[in-house]
Amino acid sequence: MEVLAGLSHGFGIALQPMNLLWCLAGCVLGTLVGIMPGLGPAAAIAMLMPVTFSMDPTGGIIMLSGIYYGAKYGGSTTSILLNIPGEASSVASCIDGHQMAKKGRAGAALGIAAIASFVAGTFGVVLLTLVAPPIARFALSFSSPEYFALLSLGLALVVLFAGESPLKAALAMLVGLWFTSVGIDLFSAQARFTFGQSALLNGIDFMIVAIGVFAVAEVLGSMQERTDMQLMDVPRGIRNLLPSWEELKACRFAFVNGSLTGFLVGVLPGAGSSISSFIAYAFEKLFSKHPERFGHGAPEGLAAPEAANNADTSGALVPMLTLGLPGGGTTAILLSALVLWGLKPGPMLMQDSPNVFWGLVASMYIGNLMLLLLNLPLVPLFAQALRVPAYVLFPMILGISVVGVFGVAQSMFHIGLLAGFGLLGYAMARLGFPGAPLILGFVLGDGMERALRQSLQMSGGDLGILVSRPIAAGLLIAAVLVLLMPLIGRFNRWRLRSIAENE
Amino acid sequence: MIRRNFLVGAAALTAFLGANDALAQFVPSRPIDLVVHSGPGAGPDAFGRALIAAIEAEKLSPVRIQINHKIGGGGATAASYIVEKKGDPYTIGLFTSAWVANPLVQADMKATVKEMTPVVRLVIEPAVFAVKADSPYKSMMEIVDAAKKDPTKIKQSGGSPLARDAIVRHVLMSNTGARWAFVSFPTGSERIAALLGGHVDMMIIEPSEAGELIRGGQMRALAQVSDRRLSTFPDVPTLREAGFNVPNVPQARGFVAPPDMPRDAVAFYEQMFEKMVKSPTWQKYLSDNQFEDAFLKSPETGKFFDEYANLMRGILTGAGIKVVR
Amino acid sequence: MIQRAVRDSDVIAGSVLAALGVFIINEANKWEYTGFDGPGPGFFPLWYGLAITLLSLWLVIGRLVTLKRQPDTTIDWPGVRRALGTWAIFALSVAVMPWLGFALSFALMSFVMIRVLFAQSTRTALLSALGLATGFYALFPLLLDVPLPVGRLGF
Repeated sequence: MEVLAGLSHGFGIALQPMNLLWCLAGCVLGTLVGIMPGLGPAAAIAMLMPVTFSMDPTGGIIMLSGIYYGAKYGGSTTSILLNIPGEASSVASCIDGHQMAKKGRAGAALGIAAIASFVAGTFGVVLLTLVAPPIARFALSFSSPEYFALLSLGLALVVLFAGESPLKAALAMLVGLWFTSVGIDLFSAQARFTFGQSALLNGIDFMIVAIGVFAVAEVLGSMQERTDMQLMDVPRGIRNLLPSWEELKACRFAFVNGSLTGFLVGVLPGAGSSISSFIAYAFEKLFSKHPERFGHGAPEGLAAPEAANNADTSGALVPMLTLGLPGGGTTAILLSALVLWGLKPGPMLMQDSPNVFWGLVASMYIGNLMLLLLNLPLVPLFAQALRVPAYVLFPMILGISVVGVFGVAQSMFHIGLLAGFGLLGYAMARLGFPGAPLILGFVLGDGMERALRQSLQMSGGDLGILVSRPIAAGLLIAAVLVLLMPLIGRFNRWRLRSIAENE
Repeated sequence: MIRRNFLVGAAALTAFLGANDALAQFVPSRPIDLVVHSGPGAGPDAFGRALIAAIEAEKLSPVRIQINHKIGGGGATAASYIVEKKGDPYTIGLFTSAWVANPLVQADMKATVKEMTPVVRLVIEPAVFAVKADSPYKSMMEIVDAAKKDPTKIKQSGGSPLARDAIVRHVLMSNTGARWAFVSFPTGSERIAALLGGHVDMMIIEPSEAGELIRGGQMRALAQVSDRRLSTFPDVPTLREAGFNVPNVPQARGFVAPPDMPRDAVAFYEQMFEKMVKSPTWQKYLSDNQFEDAFLKSPETGKFFDEYANLMRGILTGAGIKVVR
Repeated sequence: MIQRAVRDSDVIAGSVLAALGVFIINEANKWEYTGFDGPGPGFFPLWYGLAITLLSLWLVIGRLVTLKRQPDTTIDWPGVRRALGTWAIFALSVAVMPWLGFALSFALMSFVMIRVLFAQSTRTALLSALGLATGFYALFPLLLDVPLPVGRLGF
């Protein structure tokens, strides 16, 4: 099989000492970049590109890719410990990851994140190796109507985050939709909800909303609830620093779910990595026997999105390597790096430059292993960060939030927005409005509006396009079923009760 | 008398030499800030990097040039930043035609190219009309005819309604009386994916993006949006050759500078870029990416902005888009 | 009863949201609903604006109906004051950042927070604030080349 031949050739290249060194360098840098909010892998890769110009292209792309998937490992660290998403795709990990830390299971959480990332990363590379061309073709059959259906399914899953009041969850989601409309409308160049501010013309970045509603609001909430010296208990002893067997067993399904979801959504050009982690989280909750545990420190609630955001990187590389189409911001830079080296990414890359292609794929197997070995021993070290007394930690969290937002937007106006979102998040928590639907509405709403309008542009105004295509129709039916689930549950209970009463 | 003339002549000569010396006097002593309006990896950033690589390879600058990303608002953030840096000789902005066109429509944009100092124009990017390889259409005329018969049949994927592909569509539609749908996607890869997946019938794409896909046999070029045939597409007719008498909408790239940039600084950049465009490194970049060398110095670049703005005003109004300045 | 209604959190939240919904609908009406090329910029906002208005009114009315039966939840006023105080200090430091730059504003914010809200000694507050600010400044702009807001004073 030519795939195995190519792969063994690739390992021969990837295992050369220099290339191993570049792989390690990329992984370490990536992990550090992932930990720092506001410094994303895209910016780091861009900064290092001039350094790699004089390098051999194979070594160069190995290192830059190492940064790319390494960042996904590091992104969970601040999410778990401080409720600050290190990266857009780590936002979903904050939900259960931070709750686990609050319960004294910070070490276990960090360990689960590392293991989930390893399993998914490896899984993703295997899929990339074996099914890249057919998957790329499948991805091409996915267009706006299918996107709309997928995102509708995602929003229908908001129902699962309903908690006590579906009404408030729906309102939070709608407000998220509103926030995401701010900016210049792609289709008409009409500026919407910008209040005359040129700083808002490009819209509000997702990270600003997430950091505000999660990190800053959490600080405010903690200030209200207690004035203890310490944020949370520091885990002691090896048993508490690593995940227990029960926790790992609970995550079995999450590993598979996250890997598949992350990979498949990552393959679609235009789907950001935050979408895949949220959808994986929602699927995990949907199929769980104990959905009430989610949001309160369920290990599988952390494992699913962590797995998804790693498998997403392999998925995003599929269209990049097979068609020359970058899946997102970071792959766009990797692509431009390949171009600057004189390579031509596209359908001919595998044939023209097999060294680079297979060397890269092989190095990804090695890189994932390196990252696991790097991250697991660091868990106890990171967990010690919680020893810092609250009066230092809270200002630090606020400071990191500002740095993160400034790194993303470079404008004081957006730091002001951060403060606003922090207050909003706090108010929402006090008033009983769940924060996750707001974030979901924000993430999915923008893509959904675009997909709907694109679909109608394609069909000339005919809504039928959304149901006449098999994949789109299937996903829409699934969305309707999810929306009906609470009603079905209630109907079932009524039915069982009436049966019991009649006996 | 002779002595006075001599003195006057000497004074004039000294003044002239002194002035020339002053013109050649600006030598940068700090890194130069190259402002782009996209993030790392996107078109303007990639162009900027290639440009810096060429300048460094030919050793044309005594200092480092670094890229400064000012993303947002279709160039609004970059424009505001540049206008704020009034008088600074160390900041230059990489403009695209959108910098001239967008302010015509966005009332919220406070800073525009009209306030900036034009420096040079470097290249014009041509583009091609492309279809999927197995498409039944063999020429632009066939597509336009199909569109005339049924306005809902043909679909084109593209970007924002102010971008070149939308403008060319308006120009063609008003010229031929045909109509076809325009589906907007924010990124190039989504547009290409829509075409390759058969969800749209055609798109306008730059040769740098299209080259590989055409070489790999997935796409076919039907016509070129440029004045002359490109060397990599010798068999593809230009729009005019294909029978459409439409004005060319040039997609230009070049540099602008903050308002009131000192004349000697502008001259420095003009000279540096003039040497760069003549260099073999740059010529190779141009031919690899199929850019058209369109070097203009500062005054001519300013004139280009005015001509382009007038051209755009006419097209936009004809397309029913409101023009605010 | 009206007094209680006006102070109830759900009623207030619902009313604010209803006002937001009306604002959104108003703005959406200024834009194109459908154009030649498909739904315009006003399409989506109109629908979610409508949804926000209707759902928030439902929230308000639903709460008014149950107001008699369900007691109001008690609010932890001292705690809320602490939280809002924290936010106020944070917001103020953000407001002065364009003039003072990140390092100074952050140091000031930390000092006030630690001294006032966490009730630590002045010495602890001063040391911690300076330590934090220096740490951030050393790490981000100096070591990592990550830009931080710079004030009129140049840093």
